Amino acid sequence: MKSIAFNLNGAGVTIEVEPDKPLLWVLRDDLGLTGTKYGCGMAICGCCTVHVEGDAIRSCVTPIARVTGKRVITIEGLSNDLRHPVQRAWVDLQVPQCGYCQPGQMMSAACLLAQNPNPTDTDIDDAMSGNLCRCGTYQRIRKAIHRAAEMTAKQGARE
Amino acid sequence: MSGNEVSRRFFLTASLAAGGGLLLGCALSPVAELVQGAGLLSVQDNSSRLNDITLNTWIRISPGDEVTLISSQSEMGQGVMTTLPAILAEELCVDWNRVKIEVSAVAPAYRNPRINWQFTGNSESTTGFFDLLRTMGASAREMLIKAAANRWGVRDEECYAESGRVVHGGTRRVLKFGDVAEDAAKLTPPKTPRLKSERDWKLLGRSLPRVELSSKLNGSAVFGLDFSVPGMVYAAVMQSPVHGGVVSSFDKQSVLNHPGVIDVVQIPNGIAVVAQQYWYARQALKQLKVEFENKGKSEIRSATLDQQYRDSLNGQSWKTVKTEGAALRSDAMAGKFQQVLSHEYESQFLAHATMEPMNCTASVTDESCTVWGPLQGPELAKLTLSGMFKLPPERVFINRTLLGGGFGRRLLVDFVVQAAVVSKAVGKPVKVVWSREEDMQHDVYRPATLNQISAGLDETGQPAAIAHKVVSPSILQFVYPAAVTEDNDPSCLEGLMETHYQIPSQRVDFKLLKIGIPTSVLRTTGYGPNIFALESFIDELAFEAKKDPYEFRRALLKDERSLNVLNTVVAKSDWRKKRSKGVARGLAYAEAFRTHIAHVVELSVKNNLVNIHRITCVVDCGFALDPEITRNSIEGGTVWGLSAAFKSAITFHNGRTVESNFHNYQIAQMDETPPIDVHIVNSSTKVLGGTGEVGPVTLVPAVTNAIFAATGQRYRSLPLSRHGLRLASIV
Repeated sequence: MKSIAFNLNGAGVTIEVEPDKPLLWVLRDDLGLTGTKYGCGMAICGCCTVHVEGDAIRSCVTPIARVTGKRVITIEGLSNDLRHPVQRAWVDLQVPQCGYCQPGQMMSAACLLAQNPNPTDTDIDDAMSGNLCRCGTYQRIRKAIHRAAEMTAKQGARE
Repeated sequence: MSGNEVSRRFFLTASLAAGGGLLLGCALSPVAELVQGAGLLSVQDNSSRLNDITLNTWIRISPGDEVTLISSQSEMGQGVMTTLPAILAEELCVDWNRVKIEVSAVAPAYRNPRINWQFTGNSESTTGFFDLLRTMGASAREMLIKAAANRWGVRDEECYAESGRVVHGGTRRVLKFGDVAEDAAKLTPPKTPRLKSERDWKLLGRSLPRVELSSKLNGSAVFGLDFSVPGMVYAAVMQSPVHGGVVSSFDKQSVLNHPGVIDVVQIPNGIAVVAQQYWYARQALKQLKVEFENKGKSEIRSATLDQQYRDSLNGQSWKTVKTEGAALRSDAMAGKFQQVLSHEYESQFLAHATMEPMNCTASVTDESCTVWGPLQGPELAKLTLSGMFKLPPERVFINRTLLGGGFGRRLLVDFVVQAAVVSKAVGKPVKVVWSREEDMQHDVYRPATLNQISAGLDETGQPAAIAHKVVSPSILQFVYPAAVTEDNDPSCLEGLMETHYQIPSQRVDFKLLKIGIPTSVLRTTGYGPNIFALESFIDELAFEAKKDPYEFRRALLKDERSLNVLNTVVAKSDWRKKRSKGVARGLAYAEAFRTHIAHVVELSVKNNLVNIHRITCVVDCGFALDPEITRNSIEGGTVWGLSAAFKSAITFHNGRTVESNFHNYQIAQMDETPPIDVHIVNSSTKVLGGTGEVGPVTLVPAVTNAIFAATGQRYRSLPLSRHGLRLASIV
């Protein structure tokens, strides 16, 4: 056991935990944030995607020790009012079916848009191909990412 | 198979929970899911709603005018939690943004009326419940109107319902539903309430936002994996790696001193490590000393299975399941016709691979058994647990969470039984979670099939006789055993028994294969493999006749809806337009799950890399009650079809499943998903069909037909990866 401190969705957290325990299970079972999902346990499916220092990472293979002192954002922290452009675009396009993979999809999409405000289809494919969706909502995700980019651009123009 | 026969075989032990038992079950169920019209999904105690007035088993109204609609079908992405309550709301005349949705308990009132059994599957939630829910909504509306009319001392006919209120037409007086609900509940429900005219529909036929949508966008949605109760512990399981094997010995002491470990419990086909957290259970399981007895099942390999299918196809003793006209056998066609064409088609074993791995939470004591989980088969769960623990059904409580995909897998209750067994053993609430590897290697698979189709052609190349031979293991054995006999399983024959192609002599022979691999329902069931075979073969006949695949099909079809779907897909896909060099199109049509569907796939092939440029789909499900949910479902089904056509396959070696995770059981990715245009044709609300499973059915043969058009190469076995073909990134 080791004491590990990091910033989670804007607030400081310190927990006693095995340093090799994956961030995914710390989030879910120690901290009760179940929005981040288990899908494969080997960084293939993307269900467990969260942001660490602004990068989209797979929490199922990230030992908790690796986020010591870092800023972690989960789906619960994407916004507190469903007003993040990705969330609004996901509503507009009615993206989810079962919804299980969508937190991971949205975290990957939010990271892409933060780093590339106007992504091309190729950019989207590069960023999103590691996020699997068994319901097959990919077409809507692609459109929603473009929509979120438009929303952000319009918002920026107004401000 | 009549509903009554099924009932007798399934429900001998379930006769208690009728009528009032249902309401009791609702009220006592410890947890109910509550969804606000546009708000968040939350799991909460429903005791605050005990003052609600129950108008019928589907509708409650609180004195404060809050309308709660019951959702009986499991929400797994297909939108039933939205579309079915919308049917109630439509007839009740209540504003959609003011209703709450609650997931039902398990009770006879919530059985699918067609087969008298509570389950979510077979693409029949909408088709099965449409009439019932309309009637229930209309009945409650008429009771509310009557109660208001009585209070005003006017005739019912002078009043109408609108936006959750009863209005007296003459005086414009108004009473809220909540004001008259108590009086209404005392009235005798009308026997034949008048349904609203379709012209007056405000909700049905419109796209509504999914009621649980917001919860799926901020992490608050509760799937089975996310559910918890106080005092709950976790179990990680290892099932016999060889299918059909059992645990022969294990050393509990080998892990008891590991962090967080509470106990080691034997389950029917394996072992469970119980710990304070899932991670501890999972880590300790890797270190557990356990031996399995393979019961002679370790010989099963894909090659031996292939041989078994082949021997069956070449062998005797067929069960003839369909005869029409002369019903000629394939071997009787030779010499009778200008030409006889015969080909074989193979579909592979598939895993469901729901993104949410199997899991379930249970709390079992001597007095009761409660489970919470992502279930498609809640009634089977209730009956199974009632029998296992010798508890009366009213002491078994089944609660459903959202499902992270179902596709048929969650009709089974193996994971439910495990959670209950482990909870009983440790005397605590337990959540069993399967690793992805367990999920994939202990699935109950879509069976591989081998189809042979033969046709006798006249001098113009038109088929005068067609004969099918189908070899398949059972699909329904575990989920609907009443329908399965020693030599027949109707699901294995779907798509061949009721084809729309006008061919004078038709025959279907079947062989139900027994293999040592568990097989069951998976999205598309028998339609998938059979329509792949049939629509590939029709394409081959068109080629032999030197006809355009569309013109050839059109000449064989008479049914108006079939022709309309076919003509529409041709128009929407620009079928007749000149193609660029190297680009080809393939077509397939079917009726499946009572829905007519056609796909056109436009692609080019270079160095075994298949580049799909565009997919067009036309679907006639009678009437799309929610067009956007329908479209999303068909888009997703099309992507599912790409996985099945190109990428996914389960294989076996030494009695074990080889594939273990998404690296070797691959599914389509975003970069492989081309633009998909879905066009909805509404023909009539009288012929509703399902849309959850139909999407992949025609996509697969449309792909192989397009590849043939592009390359002249005909692929008759799946997935295409076994022929070296790959799906290209689209951009």
